[in-house]
Amino acid sequence: MTHEIPDDLHYTDSHEWIDDGGDALRIGITDFAQDELGDVVFVELPEEGESLNSGDACAVVESIKAVSDIYTPVTGTVTATNDGVLDQPELLNTDPYGEGWLFEIDGQVPDDALGATDYREQTEE
Amino acid sequence: MNYQQATWEQETEGGEAVNEPLLSEKRMETVSHEDVDLPDELVRDELTLPEPAEPEVASHYTRLSQMNYSVEHGPYPLGSCTMKYNPKFIEDVAALEDAAMHPDRPEADAQGTLTLLYRLQEYLAEIGGMETVTLQPPAGAAGEFTGLLVARAYHRSNDEDAERREVIVPASAHGTNFASAAMAGYDVVELPSNEDGRVPVDALEEAVGESTAALMLTNPNTLGLFERDIEDIAETVHEAGGLLYYDGANLNALLGRARPGDMGFDIMHYNVHKTFASPHGGGGPGAGPIGVIDELTEFLPDPHVRKADDGSFELSEPAESVGKVHGFHGNWLVLLKTYAYISRLGDAGLKDTSAMAVLNANYLASQIDLDIPYEPFHHEFVASAGDVDAAEFAKGMLDEGVHPPTTKWPEIVDEALMTEPTEALNKDQLDILAEAFTAASRKTPEQLAAAPTTTAAARIDQTGAARNPRLSWRDLEGNDE
Amino acid sequence: MTMQRIQHDEGDRTHEPAESSPFAPQTPQEVEEMLSAIGAESVEELFDVPEAVAFDGDFDIDAKSEFEVVTEIEELLGRNADRTEFLGRGHYDHYVPSVVDYLSLRSEFLTSYTQYQPETSQGFLQALFEFQSMIVELTGLPVANCSMYDAATALGEAATLAARVRDTSGSRVLVPETIRSERRSVLENYTEGAELTVGTYPLVDGNVDLDALTELFDDDIVMVYAESPTARGAIEERLPSIATLADDHEAAFCLGSDPVALALLQEPAAVGADIVIGDASVLGLSASYGMGLGLFAVKQAYLRQVPGRLVGTSKTADGRRAYTLTLQTREQHIRKERATSNICTNQAWVALRTAIHIASLGASGLSALAEDCVTTAAEAAARLNDIDGISAPVDDRHHFREFVARTNRPATEVVSELAEKGFLVHEAGEFEVQVCVTETNSGDLDDLVAAVREVLG
Repeated sequence: MTHEIPDDLHYTDSHEWIDDGGDALRIGITDFAQDELGDVVFVELPEEGESLNSGDACAVVESIKAVSDIYTPVTGTVTATNDGVLDQPELLNTDPYGEGWLFEIDGQVPDDALGATDYREQTEE
Repeated sequence: MNYQQATWEQETEGGEAVNEPLLSEKRMETVSHEDVDLPDELVRDELTLPEPAEPEVASHYTRLSQMNYSVEHGPYPLGSCTMKYNPKFIEDVAALEDAAMHPDRPEADAQGTLTLLYRLQEYLAEIGGMETVTLQPPAGAAGEFTGLLVARAYHRSNDEDAERREVIVPASAHGTNFASAAMAGYDVVELPSNEDGRVPVDALEEAVGESTAALMLTNPNTLGLFERDIEDIAETVHEAGGLLYYDGANLNALLGRARPGDMGFDIMHYNVHKTFASPHGGGGPGAGPIGVIDELTEFLPDPHVRKADDGSFELSEPAESVGKVHGFHGNWLVLLKTYAYISRLGDAGLKDTSAMAVLNANYLASQIDLDIPYEPFHHEFVASAGDVDAAEFAKGMLDEGVHPPTTKWPEIVDEALMTEPTEALNKDQLDILAEAFTAASRKTPEQLAAAPTTTAAARIDQTGAARNPRLSWRDLEGNDE
Repeated sequence: MTMQRIQHDEGDRTHEPAESSPFAPQTPQEVEEMLSAIGAESVEELFDVPEAVAFDGDFDIDAKSEFEVVTEIEELLGRNADRTEFLGRGHYDHYVPSVVDYLSLRSEFLTSYTQYQPETSQGFLQALFEFQSMIVELTGLPVANCSMYDAATALGEAATLAARVRDTSGSRVLVPETIRSERRSVLENYTEGAELTVGTYPLVDGNVDLDALTELFDDDIVMVYAESPTARGAIEERLPSIATLADDHEAAFCLGSDPVALALLQEPAAVGADIVIGDASVLGLSASYGMGLGLFAVKQAYLRQVPGRLVGTSKTADGRRAYTLTLQTREQHIRKERATSNICTNQAWVALRTAIHIASLGASGLSALAEDCVTTAAEAAARLNDIDGISAPVDDRHHFREFVARTNRPATEVVSELAEKGFLVHEAGEFEVQVCVTETNSGDLDDLVAAVREVLG
């Protein structure tokens, strides 16, 4: 099965994506990650204003039979959260790179972030 | 097999299709307390509950019962759960009027009950190779928790509690092991299995040390394999100053053939509702007595049934007791049923139980055409559904008139079907169960997706249930989607 | 009699050849066929147990016939003294109608497992959903699980939940000084792992001493627990004030009660309770030497932190309403060491019995039963109070089922002399006894009163 991996995003080994196209960095989980999880039924987000260090478990995504911690790939302060996914967790399944984003954080894209090509290689392994 | 579970499909007043209306959809009554001699502010305004007449109660629950698969319907081969026949007479024993007494009765007035509990402690100690047993933990997980409290009290008595903060748990262990360790305040160290599905002694040697409080292990493990290196494992843990804990979920495989105490375990729990056939009751009650070695006896929960010098039985507080893990004496009626079962079987019957359980599992395995990657297994085996999702495979089996095995666990086997037929099935039933495996493996993905079709309910939308939790009949009002 | 089945290869063992379990149905011929299908010579060969740890001894437990076992247990339990119990203190005996036994003992309920395959377990799931719904009606709280082991373990779970839901740290739980010591001990074992300590607050004249509690309260308290009725049988009148105090300090307020009391007393939600725990087996089970059913209900905000199983509704593929275990990611089989609790096996069958009992009483019957618990306790107290040497109730409060009486002789002596006359009451203090009356012993009240008159009058 092939998964959508947009060329203009950065990725992590743990299947988060980083969009640096706006003022703050926007974070979400990849198409591959949502597919592995199955139907998402519950999302817990960090709080706006919370300071995070890269690698912190800062959000939780639950399906029926699995719980996944989401690790922030970026150090910084949370500037916005997507409350839409709290009411409609299925957005993570239907639109993981769009309306299913999780939070925005004020910080820098880490040096070890993967490009789309490298991430594609990794998920195809 | 041609099978159809009972159902009474009908529509509620709101037009919703249901199998049997809720009591709240039949007749509700709202009452208020006008004549009671209490100030108004202490009394609720009103109470609304169902108000069925007894014939309606009987009909409602009889219909519900018929929409429920059970051990007496046929094979129920849930791995690790030990769904075997529950003898009828143990229910009659539990219904005796003398069993109904209040827990605060003085010892002198409760000698019969205390004698029976004492004998059960002795039986279990002998069966497990342990010095002393407490019957207080009300379930297996409560037994684990109690065992870890005992371990903690032991390390505390050696002034080592502050350092010994870790409990080692094999990756393939029951989820309760991890959760019990966390509840007792321990950090959990997970130990991966080795290639042949057992605890790797070399990795264990790396993992143990001055921070080790205990290793929790089940044997045979969740793959049904005997941990052949158990003596080395015990030595490794003991040399590091840790204690060895035995999860008794699979003790039924070893009844009369090997005892945790002889293997070097220091603490164990017994799942009496698995090993000793007290009924599972739709999820409980069970009982989870724990046994300990001599050195740990003084840490057991309070009270402990002991024999006094004059031959009477008393409730005494062990010198260094961890205190209580149940408000009273545990699940007494379950313990009473356990005593009845053990007394009925005796040595010979207990030994035959493990023999027939292991024979049945091996025979069943020989009759099904699925990969079973780990052997030699004992009372249960883990087959792989291969390319098929094990949960889907299970739905396909439901239509063959049997209950499917435990699915997708342990994770060491892809698409796991963890299967435990127990000693209670005869060869014909095992053949029917084997045919159900075969029938399910022949189904197309589309057929599996459409299954089950013979149960009271067709496939249920679990995602919808979790996204929009409706947990009482109040949540259903005006909410029919 | 049991039949001989297998000639084990006994080696040097000296005991008799094994007889069979009466609950394993294989015939010797079937055993042979099965071994042959497996390709094994003997059943013993299937065991992979190293010789060094193999057990070749005996347990010295003789097999018995069913008749022998039943007779033995009848004889054993018959050794329990013949006493009329006026015992309570948090554990009660109400009459359980026959319909509860006959329906709950149906093997479809009794011999089924946890409902992990909901399509084939709709009956039990619906019964548990109805149990949860009844507890919701009784507590006014929107979420009730389908059981903990008993009231004490439910209280322990409540405390760890309260610690988890708090934004700020806190390390203490407050309980009434009158709490049963056993219940407190269980609580302390549950809280130790969560690094919480348990302290007590005093009562005055049977109810919470609000001034003292206010004095004790600070932001370090994660949960305050109160009981109504209390372990001494008094109805607690100051619940709303406790709730306000808890609120002011961001602590959870946990109320301990039971389904009969809840049918009459002010709804927990209305007095500000965040969590309700208690023993629900006051309906559905006899006193059963302390076996119970932990009631556990919470407000909506705590939903994701609830321990134990929850049943919810959903739809089937063909559009019918159906029931299923839900929000299972809270539980140990998925979340492991981060689960809300380690509970797996619970008291589901007792919950079924309680639900059937409540259904068979109905709103009117349950309500009447609860009212009787107030009037009977008051009458019994008044009758004892008429006797010289005893005054009742000690606490100037309304009572439910039971009350404490003051005696002019040491309670130890009074309790033991009453026992000799065939009546059991609690020793509640140096000069205090506690008496519990329900419909199961109220017919013996005249005799108790007469006995008390003989002992104290």
